[in-house]
Amino acid sequence: MSEITFIQAGRQVTLPVSPGTSLLDATRKHGILLESPCNGNGTCGKCKVKIVQQSETGQPAEGSPLLTEEERQQGIVLACVTPVDRNMTVEILSRQDSRNVQIIQHGMSLEIDLQPAILKRYDTARDTTEVWTVGHLLGLETGDTGQENYGLVVDIGTTTLVAALFDLHSGREVGSVARLNPQSHHAQDVLSRIKLASTADGLAVLHSKFITVLNAMIAELAQETGIQSKRIYEIIFSGNTCMLHLALAVDPSSLGKYPYTPAINGGSVHQASEYGIRGAEFAQIYLPPVMSAYVGADITSGILAAELKERRGLTLFVDVGTNGEMVLAADGKLLATSTAAGPAFEGMNIEHGMRAAPGAIEKFSIQDNGLVEIKTIGDQSAIGICGSGLLDIVGELVKHGFIQGSGKFRESVAKPELNERLIKKDGKTVFQVADAVWLSQKDIRQVQLAKGAIRAGIEALLAQNGVLPEQVNRVYIAGSFGYHLNPASLIHIGMLPAAFADKIEFLGNTSKTGGQALLLNQPVRQTMSQLVQQVEVLELATMTNFDKLFVACLNF
Amino acid sequence: MIQNQEELIKQLSDAVVDMDEDKAVELANQIVEQGIDAYLAIDQGLSDGMSRAGQLFEEEEYFIPELLMCSDAMYAGLEVLRPHLKIQHEGEREIVVIGVIEGDTHDIGKNLVKIMLETSGYEVIDLGRDIPPQDFVQVAKEKNAHIIALSTLMTTTMDGMAEVIRILNREQVRNSFKVMIGGGPISQAFADKIGADAYASNAAEAVRIARKLLGGAA
Repeated sequence: MSEITFIQAGRQVTLPVSPGTSLLDATRKHGILLESPCNGNGTCGKCKVKIVQQSETGQPAEGSPLLTEEERQQGIVLACVTPVDRNMTVEILSRQDSRNVQIIQHGMSLEIDLQPAILKRYDTARDTTEVWTVGHLLGLETGDTGQENYGLVVDIGTTTLVAALFDLHSGREVGSVARLNPQSHHAQDVLSRIKLASTADGLAVLHSKFITVLNAMIAELAQETGIQSKRIYEIIFSGNTCMLHLALAVDPSSLGKYPYTPAINGGSVHQASEYGIRGAEFAQIYLPPVMSAYVGADITSGILAAELKERRGLTLFVDVGTNGEMVLAADGKLLATSTAAGPAFEGMNIEHGMRAAPGAIEKFSIQDNGLVEIKTIGDQSAIGICGSGLLDIVGELVKHGFIQGSGKFRESVAKPELNERLIKKDGKTVFQVADAVWLSQKDIRQVQLAKGAIRAGIEALLAQNGVLPEQVNRVYIAGSFGYHLNPASLIHIGMLPAAFADKIEFLGNTSKTGGQALLLNQPVRQTMSQLVQQVEVLELATMTNFDKLFVACLNF
Repeated sequence: MIQNQEELIKQLSDAVVDMDEDKAVELANQIVEQGIDAYLAIDQGLSDGMSRAGQLFEEEEYFIPELLMCSDAMYAGLEVLRPHLKIQHEGEREIVVIGVIEGDTHDIGKNLVKIMLETSGYEVIDLGRDIPPQDFVQVAKEKNAHIIALSTLMTTTMDGMAEVIRILNREQVRNSFKVMIGGGPISQAFADKIGADAYASNAAEAVRIARKLLGGAA
């Protein structure tokens, strides 16, 4: 056994660790929080720790390319690929974005007829309240509880969880809370989560972390609103296909391998008590139907929230995220797909990338007079770049000629006064965004790959329908991330065709809004189940010539 | 005359780097007309151009579209020169068996590596995507391949790479082939863990690594 002393935020703990265990596994075993979005693959570079005792012999594993020379000299290593081979003192470098997360909770509001699945009837003779759902009695409650009828919508985002409590009598939202999805500490992206959950232990961990945080959110809502959690009778789980699997502790491994088949398809009702979820003892969970492994219930909710089925003409719906899902509606006929955009838009794989947290650059523009305007979250000094800031920076640099069509940096003719911001770091050209923050050529390549994937998906949907971008009547951008985006930047970087200018609308979190519609109107569930059957899903990975289309979408 | 030959081959290399397909064809035709050895022109002209393009890619000067346009120019020149190759140069090429591992259908990265290897003079046998581990071993044995190259984009399928190596070990042919791996979730640490011979982080690096694995100059 080796003794490892972990120092985190001034606190210190010493633990016995068996040799050969990676530092990351050691932290996990002992409940020390260390971000590891790639689940210990050695590819994301976010689990940096500092080995404080340098005097001892024994050299950390060969430096990863994700570490700078300077970091290496300071003894910084990636915890996931560094095995314990001696007594060590390890400092956990706290990431500035781990404190809190900015989450947008508005969504498009929607006119919904109030017809919830839960009905209550007070029996005066027995002084008992019957709780009914469609066609059958769920349970009995003592006394008259008829006025207390609540339901919960849980938007299970890969990164963020939002729980909103609704009064089923009035349809009114009475409270809403958001938390980071705790699973993201173990595995950031969907595929890493599928992999981790393909073992029984991994699935149990991811499932129980989710349930624990969900229950904490329900408790918080109860405290905030004064509504007892036992008066929650129905819970809607809106999320991508993988998140639904994990929420119900269903092995998601079949999602991760061709032909990418879901083990559960939603459109189903489950008992909340079976999963240890706080609520009425007979509360039920409704899972909206999914379309495929990568077009999930969150998109079903989105289709409902954006009323895609009812829109005349051509409507394009895009949920911008790690997986860019999109739906093209042509006079009620729906075609959907998803693209592997990668995590660049969430600030991952970007040298100074970070989540939307205090100090993150969220807006960036170059003014006519040549001045640079930067807005950071919390108006603090800039420490990194979050997704919306990244798109703004690249968009503005393309617009003002600092980035050429091929993605390569060059000196601008239009704004020569800013050319001094093109400086060299480690022999490579970067653009100085703020004192301690810059954009590298490699970062631009990551943006090209991400936006190219989404653009290629859009082009594939349009081509499949035989229409041109000019013919599209409206473009809806969904996802809580969407609200932060500047539509001009989306066009400048070419994520969206120029013909979409003036047609772009941000809908916010449609996974939640659609979930709300499903909670408040029971009959619409049947409609959506039927609709989902009719949605055609385009599988891009197996489409002929998709690689050519993707490459054609890489330039700005 | 010698000056002219060197000059033409140099220009051919430049045409590839400059992504100039027409120029590559024109120069290749001149080379044929002047009776310059086609093998020399391919090796020191076209392949040299691709190797410079790969270098520019690794330096982040070029990106995927440029690299592909370079390869278009290379292939166009090759089409002109190949019929004039003398027989003894055929069959000398080293063989790479490449494919996307079972469970994964994302093959853009694999296709890039294939192009880079082909344009650098390797004979590439492309098995395609969603390929069972056993198939890599079987084809590599049948074709007397030198390298097995495995690709995947998906974290969920990367363990299939380890299976290829297990099969090679089990069939006691591990030393007959070099195994190189790459793709989004792959890292040097993963290559070390499963006992692959090398990890390549991009298509241009894959060529350098293939050369190194087969004992040539990197």
